[in-house]
Amino acid sequence: MTYRANQYKMGQTTSRRLYIQHYTRLKSAIPDFKHRNGASVIMIKIHRLVAGLSALALATLTQSAFAEKITENLELSGFARVIGGYLDHDERQFEGYTNEVSFAEQSLVAVQPTYHFTDKFSVTSQVLAHSSSDRDSGVEWLYLSYQPDNAWHFRAGKLRTPFFIYSDSLDVGYTYPWVSAPAQVYNNYLFSTFNGASGSYFYSGSELALNLEAYYGHFKGDLFLAGTKVDVEAEVDDLAGLVATLSHNNLSLRMSYHQGHNDTVIPAVELIKQPLRANGFNDSADSLESSGRVYALQASLSYDRVNSFYKAEWVKTVTGYKMAPEVIGFYLLGGYIIDDWTLYGTYSKSAYSEIHPANELPQTPTGNDSLDMLSAAYYQVFADTPNGSLESYILGARWDFRLDMALKAEATLFEESRNPSGFFTDSDNEDNENAMLYQVAWEWIF
Amino acid sequence: MKKLLSLLLFTVLVQVIPAHADTSRDKIIVVAHTEESGLTLSQDQVRNLFMGASVGRTLHPAVLPPNNRTRSLFNTKVVGMSESRVQSYWAQMKFTGRRSSPLQVSNEADMLRYLSNTPDSVGYLTADTEIPGELTIIYSTD
Repeated sequence: MTYRANQYKMGQTTSRRLYIQHYTRLKSAIPDFKHRNGASVIMIKIHRLVAGLSALALATLTQSAFAEKITENLELSGFARVIGGYLDHDERQFEGYTNEVSFAEQSLVAVQPTYHFTDKFSVTSQVLAHSSSDRDSGVEWLYLSYQPDNAWHFRAGKLRTPFFIYSDSLDVGYTYPWVSAPAQVYNNYLFSTFNGASGSYFYSGSELALNLEAYYGHFKGDLFLAGTKVDVEAEVDDLAGLVATLSHNNLSLRMSYHQGHNDTVIPAVELIKQPLRANGFNDSADSLESSGRVYALQASLSYDRVNSFYKAEWVKTVTGYKMAPEVIGFYLLGGYIIDDWTLYGTYSKSAYSEIHPANELPQTPTGNDSLDMLSAAYYQVFADTPNGSLESYILGARWDFRLDMALKAEATLFEESRNPSGFFTDSDNEDNENAMLYQVAWEWIF
Repeated sequence: MKKLLSLLLFTVLVQVIPAHADTSRDKIIVVAHTEESGLTLSQDQVRNLFMGASVGRTLHPAVLPPNNRTRSLFNTKVVGMSESRVQSYWAQMKFTGRRSSPLQVSNEADMLRYLSNTPDSVGYLTADTEIPGELTIIYSTD
């Protein structure tokens, strides 16, 4: 799943470079990769939506905090976050942050109405308005829920993908200590929702509790990498996953497996694939293949104490494609709680596996213009595919100044230990990049 | 000698009595309105029950509001998490559509009334609370 975005990102960068360097004549043939067309229209829509939802949310707050019951059967709740960030680097971008303070990258507001038909049947929706033009605003969630008893819970409709611990609550900053969850794990996670069904079971024995969750469905829509929208319409069929959490006292182990069949076509890559096949470079064309099975593995261990907490999470994403790097990401989190304050530190790292282009095309100019152009384009695809590693160190504080609100401040040092890590936008991919990101956040749930 | 003994007794009483009173006010009992006689749960089961798990029988938990002393004791001694972490947990459960937080009553008297009137309910109180006959203590802290 990770691979798709990397590949696209490569595709986008490649197309831009080729465009500028050698391929101006291909201009008319290359589809429009700039997804910011009409961005101003979208921004106006978002601003209206945010304004409307904020008014609605504030009206709710003035009545009561936390899950307002509108009628006997209708419940309204929601969340909002305002995040400001500044990247201390003159040239690069990280998740949209630059060396100018911005509040527009991750701020959002959402309302979540739930209608209870009976004690066991309900319907829930979540409407989200995002400040980033990369994120679509609208219905994030719409599902029917059936809860026959305390142990079982079944849902069907548009759901959130429960890949990793915080994947399905990533928009709800109140649920985790950080301003931004570690990018190495949570930005390699690409789509937040799917259409399908899920079932879960939560039972506690006297010494051990078991929480099982299984889901099945499909996904069609936008992909994201490093906070940036990837401009392909992705399709994943046979999306299925199993999440098992075992806990004993305050120690809990979560393990999960997710898989799907990816059918996304990337125009920029197709553009190179076709002439490769036409000229008999089949191994090279095969190495750009991008359909097939992808899977992700996750394991995490959490330990909670009254005044402290510790968490380690590890994820691995694998594809069967030749040019797709396998990616491993993990983080270690420790937090200390003093009254309403939480102080925390995190170390995280991601690393891509090595990739190897097919050995068919000449690597040095031959004098045959069209062959040289094709070779250059092909090798550029591989040169631009991230195969590096990124480390980061996070230090931050969270202040729960009200029951339903928290303020956070966070400083993160990002360091490429091998480039390109894929995380720095506009990187020249020649030197290891590093930068400090400073962020503040206001989190609210109602 | 008599004086010394009285003083000693006095010193012991002064130290023991308040300490004993504090102990029962600081002890948490988990009380259920259940037909099942002799039902007891482990600390892990109580914790998970109040975190939304099933313990194999129908029991609907009720909790006291944040900043309530008994709730803080329950968080510290049974759940083992601070109030802010408990709040984060329920926000995560709610906004991922998994579980909704337990019913909240406003104080200990309401808790007792609610438990007495509601079959299959379960709640927590301090050990110095007088428990009516229809309710059973299914767990108590040391």
